Amino acid sequence: MKIAVLNNMAPFVHGGAEELANHLVERLLRRGHDAELIRIPFRWEPFTVLPKQMAIATALKLDAAERVIALKFPAYLVPHEDKTLWLLHQFRQAYDLRDSAYSTIPDSPEGRTVVDAIQREDNRAFLGSRHIFTNSATTKARLADFNGFDAQVLHPPLNDPELFHDEEAEDYLFAGGRVNAMKRQELLVRALALTPNDVRLVIAGPAEDESTAEGLGRLADELGVSERLTLDLRFSTREEIARWVNRSRACIYIPFEEDSLGYVAMEAAEASKAVITTTDSGGILGLVGEGYSGWIAEPTAESLAAAMTDAFRHPLRSRERGMNMHLHWEAHGATWDKTVDRLLA
Amino acid sequence: MKIALVTSTVPFVYGGARNIVSWLKTALEEAGHEVEVVALPFDEEPSRIVEQLGMFRMIDLTDQADLVVCFRPPAYLVQHPRKILWFIHHLRAYYDLWDTEYRGFSDNAIARARRELIQRVDNRAFAEASHIFTNSAVVSSRLREFNGVDSEVLYPPLGSEHSFSNNGYGNEVVAVSRLEHHKRQHLLIEALALTSSKVHLRLVGKGSMPGYGKSLLDLGARLGVADRLHVHDEWVDEDLKQQLLGDALVAAYIPVDEDSYGYPTLEAARATKGVLTTTDSGGVLELVEDGRSGLVVEPTAGALAEAMDRLYLDRELAAHVGNGAADRVDELGISWAHVVDRILSV
Repeated sequence: MKIAVLNNMAPFVHGGAEELANHLVERLLRRGHDAELIRIPFRWEPFTVLPKQMAIATALKLDAAERVIALKFPAYLVPHEDKTLWLLHQFRQAYDLRDSAYSTIPDSPEGRTVVDAIQREDNRAFLGSRHIFTNSATTKARLADFNGFDAQVLHPPLNDPELFHDEEAEDYLFAGGRVNAMKRQELLVRALALTPNDVRLVIAGPAEDESTAEGLGRLADELGVSERLTLDLRFSTREEIARWVNRSRACIYIPFEEDSLGYVAMEAAEASKAVITTTDSGGILGLVGEGYSGWIAEPTAESLAAAMTDAFRHPLRSRERGMNMHLHWEAHGATWDKTVDRLLA
Repeated sequence: MKIALVTSTVPFVYGGARNIVSWLKTALEEAGHEVEVVALPFDEEPSRIVEQLGMFRMIDLTDQADLVVCFRPPAYLVQHPRKILWFIHHLRAYYDLWDTEYRGFSDNAIARARRELIQRVDNRAFAEASHIFTNSAVVSSRLREFNGVDSEVLYPPLGSEHSFSNNGYGNEVVAVSRLEHHKRQHLLIEALALTSSKVHLRLVGKGSMPGYGKSLLDLGARLGVADRLHVHDEWVDEDLKQQLLGDALVAAYIPVDEDSYGYPTLEAARATKGVLTTTDSGGVLELVEDGRSGLVVEPTAGALAEAMDRLYLDRELAAHVGNGAADRVDELGISWAHVVDRILSV
């Protein structure tokens, strides 16, 4: 079957969504389909360019494709009679972020016109789709709340599950993922300062900017935990990340209200590692059960310190919860094979 | 530097313009630049062409890239203050093919309005461009004739992943290109039937129409040359292609009035093989010179047959034009180093 996968492009920026789109095309090709990725350049500032961005997507002609799988706004506005959506997120500034500090659309007559246009075109696209999948329960809930459309959750699988497996644990807890304010590594350093002296923590991931990286190092010095903290804030290879995960005693991931499960949690689950997270971390709570596959702490240094101490001091408990995490994850069925089956069903 | 390469594509159809874009991407990356390819679908369905022109025009890469290089029409309509064109062809139905059977739609007021619009937006895009390169002298002269703009010929090289070699000068005239009526493989078979030597002909390539490949085999049988005719009516992999050209006596490429010299010509030269072509093959003649880098003959079966016999009986001549073809590629500066140098210096 000729399948066009549609995504946005922010030229020269490559992140998780680009990886996902590439892997989807590759998996479709492996199944014997003629799949092609089409990336539409997208810009969203100033907000007045948004109607034009929607017009670009709606002017696209894809008759040559027998099916279209679209991932993002406004790419999913492309007209096609056999269109499946795998929504990674909507244009949140027109929805849940509209009244937040993150929005660049003003609450003015012009701003409201643009928001109305986005919502109207979105609804038209959702109505014209054969299937709607979302990448998380959060995205699904937002779609129901704001647009009144039902969807099935289809978690994006790991692209390289073969790298992750359980190796004998060494004496550290591992916190991977991008390093920025939303991911709250600073809170982890504060929590570490409240744990006993033998607890060790590794934070590895690309820092958003220089000052974020320096700030973490400075905080560790101030709190006197530099000896017990390893900061590896480069853009590491997947193999390097896997090595940290595979040999950890448990993993930690405490983003603030994240939409999706998060790759960090999926990697931990694949490697049979228990996960420490917080009550306000969002999508990851769909995977971690308190006392079963990990620890769900309050988003405070004290509560996190208690969970970290428990995980570090009780390797057998951590291991048992790690096994549960893996079982739960397998039951989830987020493999590429099953994902492609569902997308093409 | 951040360089965006912008082109239009036909979804699920590969080759041609996509190659030049991905090869340039590799060459620019090797020169230390960050490259992003922006490739969006475009079809020439007349009733939708205007909307699609609008779509390309709405794409604004200002501030996102330092430099934009545009290829297939109408990619050059995108907005950017530093826009270079590597122009490979017009929307030819609205230009040089308008008065021919290849136009494909009727000449009425709406079609003429479209043509007027297309030429106007093209002219505007050409005026916006910092520099216009073309892939051949033929295309440059069309730009001058129809749009009144000057351009620089920048010959597209082959991708660096190809590794052709010369394994001697065998008994076969090898023609590697899509099997299409306007590439005139049938004329090569008619020529084969008129040869007096034991020269063989090998046709390699997939056609867009299934009927043509079949008709070639029928023609060979009817003319009694089936034993000296070999047809691969399929997409052959690079290894086989390289082997066949490596063993060839000479390559043949005789399209009707082609725009550019065509990749078959370059592939032959990379295998140090000369090219047998015809006086009406257009851009091919920019590379192939009679007696030096190949043989250029009248587009008749008799003249082609005579040339095939000549080469079969005189392997020194085959070697002479083979070496000449390789020299000619160097002489024209057909290399990625040259392309990168020119693109970055304007």
